[in-house]
Amino acid sequence: MTEESQSNSATAQPEAMTWDSKQRRVVMLYVPLACFVLILLFPFYWMTVTAFKPNAELYDYNTYNPFWIGSPTLDHLKHLLFGTSYPRWLMTTMGVAVASTFISLLASTLAAYAIQRLRFKGSQYVGLGIYLAYLVPPSILFIPLATIVYQLGLFDTPFALILTFPTFLIPFCTWLLIGYFKSIPYELEECALIDGATRLQILRRITLPLAVPGLISAGIFSFTLSWNEFIYSLAFIQSSEKKTVPVAILTELVTGDVYQWGALMAGSLLGSLPVAVFYSFFVDYYVSSLTGAVKE
Amino acid sequence: MNIITRRSIMLGSAAALAATGAQAQVRTKAGTATAPRLPIESGATLRMLRPVKFVQPDEDVFRANAARFKAQTGVEVRVDFVGWEDISQQTAVTANTGAGPDLIMGFNEGPHVYADKLIDMSDVAEYLGQKYGGWQAVAQKYGKRHGTNNWLGLPFGGTAGPLVWRKSAVQAVGYQRPPSDLAGFLDMSKKLKAAGKPAGFALGNAVGDGNGTANWLLWSHGGSLCDEEGKVAINSPNTIRALEYLKELYPTFIPGTIAWGDISNNRAYSANECWVTSNGVSLYFSLKNDPATRAIAEDTEHSELPHGVASSWPSAPLTLNAMVFKHSRYPNAAKAFLQFMLEAEQYEPWLDANLGYWAHPLAAYKDAAVWTSDPKVAVFRDSMNNKFWAGYKGPISEASATATNEYLLVQMFAAVASGQSTPQEAAREAERRARRIFRR
Repeated sequence: MTEESQSNSATAQPEAMTWDSKQRRVVMLYVPLACFVLILLFPFYWMTVTAFKPNAELYDYNTYNPFWIGSPTLDHLKHLLFGTSYPRWLMTTMGVAVASTFISLLASTLAAYAIQRLRFKGSQYVGLGIYLAYLVPPSILFIPLATIVYQLGLFDTPFALILTFPTFLIPFCTWLLIGYFKSIPYELEECALIDGATRLQILRRITLPLAVPGLISAGIFSFTLSWNEFIYSLAFIQSSEKKTVPVAILTELVTGDVYQWGALMAGSLLGSLPVAVFYSFFVDYYVSSLTGAVKE
Repeated sequence: MNIITRRSIMLGSAAALAATGAQAQVRTKAGTATAPRLPIESGATLRMLRPVKFVQPDEDVFRANAARFKAQTGVEVRVDFVGWEDISQQTAVTANTGAGPDLIMGFNEGPHVYADKLIDMSDVAEYLGQKYGGWQAVAQKYGKRHGTNNWLGLPFGGTAGPLVWRKSAVQAVGYQRPPSDLAGFLDMSKKLKAAGKPAGFALGNAVGDGNGTANWLLWSHGGSLCDEEGKVAINSPNTIRALEYLKELYPTFIPGTIAWGDISNNRAYSANECWVTSNGVSLYFSLKNDPATRAIAEDTEHSELPHGVASSWPSAPLTLNAMVFKHSRYPNAAKAFLQFMLEAEQYEPWLDANLGYWAHPLAAYKDAAVWTSDPKVAVFRDSMNNKFWAGYKGPISEASATATNEYLLVQMFAAVASGQSTPQEAAREAERRARRIFRR
């Protein structure tokens, strides 16, 4: 070992240790991470605690610790599952979310591919137009949409939701997929074109397999937005048994100014589980889609 | 919260019996009147929306009555229940698209907002009024188009928000019951605060409680949003007096009432944090039906809020108001259904099943068993005979509904309570907003 390299290693070692010191990691990594985790998980913790608390503990914070359960009870869960139509609302919500997500992904993929790859005249403006459509709030759209839904004979059916949710899902997914398709090298498609592949073949065999993380990301977003949607579900569905979870739990578990907090929180907790499970399965794809996965 | 009680179950069973043909005991003394001719359309079926039940027997008896209507007329009535906060949106969609239910039981001004989309109900209203001792004051106000005898809606029931107070706390500070004058009430509130048992009234954007507090403060000082002709009259010396009164009263409240929603006082009262408030009967029953809070219910009393300069209890009941849409293919069936539901054989069991939450719009129902079932609910009996309504003193209109929905009065009082505005500034700002709303 030369004198210079010895000197380098002697100076490099303490620098690395300073950078990677335990205190620094605590301050720069663990504390912020703990704050994030606390903020993000606290609502779930609160829902869980409330779902299993008896009413006496729910209302009296002076006598009982608001953050802990003294005598856990399953009464709220029992009331939710057996005293209401919760399982049916859950199935309806699932059906609507899956169907509208599927329709939105299909339409968005074709739209995004066309805008990004076919590069027809005015494609940029079409992309911008689709994005602008996303900016129109549902609270403005629900009355004109209600007229269309009624004229199509879909009022008070799940199809009213399955066909109206894509009005806000497609613009979002298209925008997201345009960005993702942009990250896929165009040379791959050129090679396929030289080999005689058609546009549809390229889309099916080259682009889509590479865009799986982007599709999953768009799918997760669509599913979550559909699952949580409130205003269209409230306006277009009037029969109690056809309602979705976010609307139905409010209808059934809020009677005037009496909120059945335990059952409401149990309903919210159970209602958020499918989304959480969905995320947990695809989290790797989701992260890679957000960080740009395809390397040239 | 557990709101199913033995009594509820018994009333529910009674409803089931009624549905299967057994005649319930009816106390109401009906007069004689000729029912309007409403030939029911062939093949008629109806869909109805109404606010979600308060107690389970409300829904059970309502459905049982609808089943009896089917048994007698062959008309199937599908009844869907929606959340209280959501009925306005559902009504807006129904009215604007001409689709959906044939009839909706909304709240308060609903029929006045969609007047041009509705079928005239005068024939049914006049018949029922004649047969059941006449419509009570608020029912007439909410039912009829202003300045006419044309009925846009059929009021079905109402509930006011009286003073809810803990006997032990009030008596501990030297009163047998809350004083009926404003100065005495302020004095009691100060003493309660000093004793660590404060009062609390909602001053947040709360549909029932927030509006109830603001209306009481304003009307008990002789103020009003509009005059009789509908001209904005909020910036008046009476309003300033009301705001100054609140400025003194507010510091005696439990902290945080400025952000209270409809449920906040229920929680605070149930947790022994607040000892005097204003609410519907729901608070009392939720306390009574939970073993953990039954002692609070036993210590709870109801009474009218201080009248101040008002000649009667200054409170506008939240009123169920049924309307039939022109888009209905079966208007006669819809009208016949509402008429049937307000007849004593159906209405009285339903009224009883609601345990006092809804008070009758027709005077003859004052003899219903519910009003003697528990002395603590007696104060609610004449809710529909109050002389005040949302938007008092002006005509009920879309503008008055907007003023209520935008919490114009509540925010005026909250601005003074929070110290954000002086009474004069708050009244001026309320006047500016009101002029904008009523100019539309």
